[in-house]
Amino acid sequence: MGVGILASRAIRPASRLLRSQPSNLFLRTIVSKPELQSPEAAAVSQPEPPKNQILPPRNPVGGARVHFTNAEDAIEVFVDGYAVKVPKGFTVLQACEVAGVDIPRFCYHSRLSIAGNCRMCLVEVEKSPKPVASCAMPALPGMKIKTDTPIAKKAREGVMEFLLMNHPLDCPICDQGGECDLQDQSMAFGSDRGRFTEMKRSVVDKNLGPLVKTVMTRCIQCTRCVRFASEVAGVQDLGMLGRGSGEEIGTYVEKLMTSELSGNVIDICPVGALTSKPFAFKARNWELKGTETIDVSDAVGSNIRVDSRGPEVMRIIPRLNEDINEEWISDKTRFSYDGLKRQRLSDPMIRDSDGRFKVVSWRDALAVVGDIIHQVKSDEIVGIAGQLSDAESMMVLKDFVNRMGSDNVWCEGTAVGVDADLRYSYLMNSSISGLENADVFLLVGTQPRVEAAMVNARICKTVRASNAKVAYIGPPADFNYDCKHLGTGPDTLKEIAEGRHPFCSALKNAKNPAIIVGAGLFNRTDKDAILAAVESIAQANNVVRPDWNGLNYLLLYAAQAAALDLGLIQQSAKALESARFVYLMGADDVDVDKIPKDAFVVYQGHHGDKAVYRANVILPASAFTEKEGTYENTEGFTQQTVPAVPTVGDARDDWKIVRALSEVSGVNLPYNSIEGVRSRIKSVAPNLVHTDEREPAAFGPSLKPECKETMSTTPFKPVVENFYMTNAITRASKIMAQCSAVLLKK
Amino acid sequence: MAAPFTLRKIGVPPNSANLTEARRRVFDFFRAACRSIPTIMDIYNLQDVVAPSQLRFAISSQIRNNAHVTDPKVIDLLLFKGMEELTDIVDHAKQRHHIIGQYVVGEGLVQNTGSKDQGKSDFLKNFYTSNYF
Repeated sequence: MGVGILASRAIRPASRLLRSQPSNLFLRTIVSKPELQSPEAAAVSQPEPPKNQILPPRNPVGGARVHFTNAEDAIEVFVDGYAVKVPKGFTVLQACEVAGVDIPRFCYHSRLSIAGNCRMCLVEVEKSPKPVASCAMPALPGMKIKTDTPIAKKAREGVMEFLLMNHPLDCPICDQGGECDLQDQSMAFGSDRGRFTEMKRSVVDKNLGPLVKTVMTRCIQCTRCVRFASEVAGVQDLGMLGRGSGEEIGTYVEKLMTSELSGNVIDICPVGALTSKPFAFKARNWELKGTETIDVSDAVGSNIRVDSRGPEVMRIIPRLNEDINEEWISDKTRFSYDGLKRQRLSDPMIRDSDGRFKVVSWRDALAVVGDIIHQVKSDEIVGIAGQLSDAESMMVLKDFVNRMGSDNVWCEGTAVGVDADLRYSYLMNSSISGLENADVFLLVGTQPRVEAAMVNARICKTVRASNAKVAYIGPPADFNYDCKHLGTGPDTLKEIAEGRHPFCSALKNAKNPAIIVGAGLFNRTDKDAILAAVESIAQANNVVRPDWNGLNYLLLYAAQAAALDLGLIQQSAKALESARFVYLMGADDVDVDKIPKDAFVVYQGHHGDKAVYRANVILPASAFTEKEGTYENTEGFTQQTVPAVPTVGDARDDWKIVRALSEVSGVNLPYNSIEGVRSRIKSVAPNLVHTDEREPAAFGPSLKPECKETMSTTPFKPVVENFYMTNAITRASKIMAQCSAVLLKK
Repeated sequence: MAAPFTLRKIGVPPNSANLTEARRRVFDFFRAACRSIPTIMDIYNLQDVVAPSQLRFAISSQIRNNAHVTDPKVIDLLLFKGMEELTDIVDHAKQRHHIIGQYVVGEGLVQNTGSKDQGKSDFLKNFYTSNYF
């Protein structure tokens, strides 16, 4: 009744309406044009663009640079009338990106293989009967690509409509809201109304572990996670089961994702199907302030963005850095942030006579330490920097200890006899991105999967791309790429060095051989012999050349490279046993039993971890998310952390504490600002001042003297027992505890 | 000669024309404050805590802190604030711990001639205050 009859009257042929004129003023006749009826008709009626139009210059999407491997092989294609030169193997989507046109996509990812199943990237190509999937179609010379025609737009609207049909109305409770590709692309390219009135399908959730939360109903079956797991992470955990609308992503068997790169699947998923379980329901992305900083959980120095809300770190997201970590970070980097909230030292404390700690003010604490340090002899003073220390604090510590007359200041992880004279002997000389050019890898006493997950990802990428051969000497371990286990100890190394091992032929025939030595070997007594053997292998197989240096050393801690550059090395083995004053700057891996019972121990750090229990005075310092510190990664690339959250309680920056202590002790250090410390660092190790630059080692192995020692026969031991608990922050983290309880392979 | 404003009259005091008049007003204020010290000690029971001379010293040191000011209008404003504070105290609008914390020597005011901070550098002073400097 009512409106319906009026409307039907309006559509019916004109005769009845014409009689009753006045009362029809509120009726609106429906007018239509042929252009609005179908996209083909609209395309016909489009006015032709004027020929020889001068188009404004265009930049590639995201400021990307195009690399032409072969200058003659460039093809010219036309994107929306704009001519652009692309290399030969480029797809239509990549050509459009070079031309500055961002084509919507769900399943395509620049670092994964092409799937072509979402169909969102459809564009119109002239002389093609139907729109083509630009992510899969190779760009041919002279192709005319049009991305903003009605056909392309209609295609996108259609795809969007199909995707949203079975997608649950979860936006208010979905963690991806605000940063969801589906939301953004439906606003930009979707139609404003849907026509779906049936029941939506739902899928049972899969349990992938304590890190990845799955709501598989939201999955749009783009298979990005499947391709990531099999290609980048190297584990074949995930797969697509079923067909058609019954497709489900899962592990088929009740298996957890134990890979150390499993957290990256959260970034990759365009919808809220795979999200971060620790971050679930904690915050929306627009409340968070992102700070671009560097990770210190291992020696790789992955670029991260710390998202914080007020004084609390809410989550950690990777940042793009092509040379180091591409777009991925390991699980330890991503999920150990909740350790920053537990067991924090926030006030200076002094141990009372009854053995309990008492909170004091900074004045009193520094006065006590300053008194005691003058009561011990110079060479009984020992300073140990921790694995998370930044270069500034290590410089000030070394200056202070040296001015007190002692030479015993070193960093954790550098045993006696490690000399820092030649930088090539502790850096990754081929650089992490240079590992992609290697074709044979020999891993000596290192397990990159647990020591530096990003280096492992790079090796995995190389193995996958160019079928590189990998062989390792060390304890048997799981690798996510094919590799041969040559042996467990120095005997195998000796065989290779003398040329008796069958692997030597592979090394000799390799164009770019790479040898990766783990820094865990630096702690062995026969270290010199082992490193000499490695260098002889390098020499015999032309590993170190002017154009390619494949002799790499993989450091374990973020502070090690900077410490060795600044000269924090352990001179005498008995230093700790005969110490009367020990200054631990975040050093938790020190063997506390070695410290004599009557020594006065000062612990300066941010977590109440192992060494605090032996300390006499506690000085609270700031963690890496709260200070601006310089870190050098294992390839010699210097980076700086940026403070994202304020310091906890009464804590101060590390270098400021040592500087204040030096003043209270009467030692006058010639700087009192961070610029002063940096100019001091510049005179010692200028590469640490040039941030975001890699300083390769200047000299090769030719300068090293001959080694006379012999190798012992003890096999190489694994350095990292528990991947999830390696430093003070990760040991305090609840998420890491869950992971190590559930995800470690027993 | 303009009458010195008493404790009861908090109207808008007239502006001082020049530095001399402002200076006179300052001394009038100081006299008024010192004359109200016995009342204050009686109200807040400060007989065993502090001597009147210490309170006088506290007031005079606060005035001396601003001794470098030369603009009569600024002096007027500071006096207005001082008068406001004095009126609050005499009206029992504050409490004992406020007076002890703010004006009794040893806790509140005196950091400037303390023995601990004499020879310290700016770095150390800033370090003791906070992490951000």
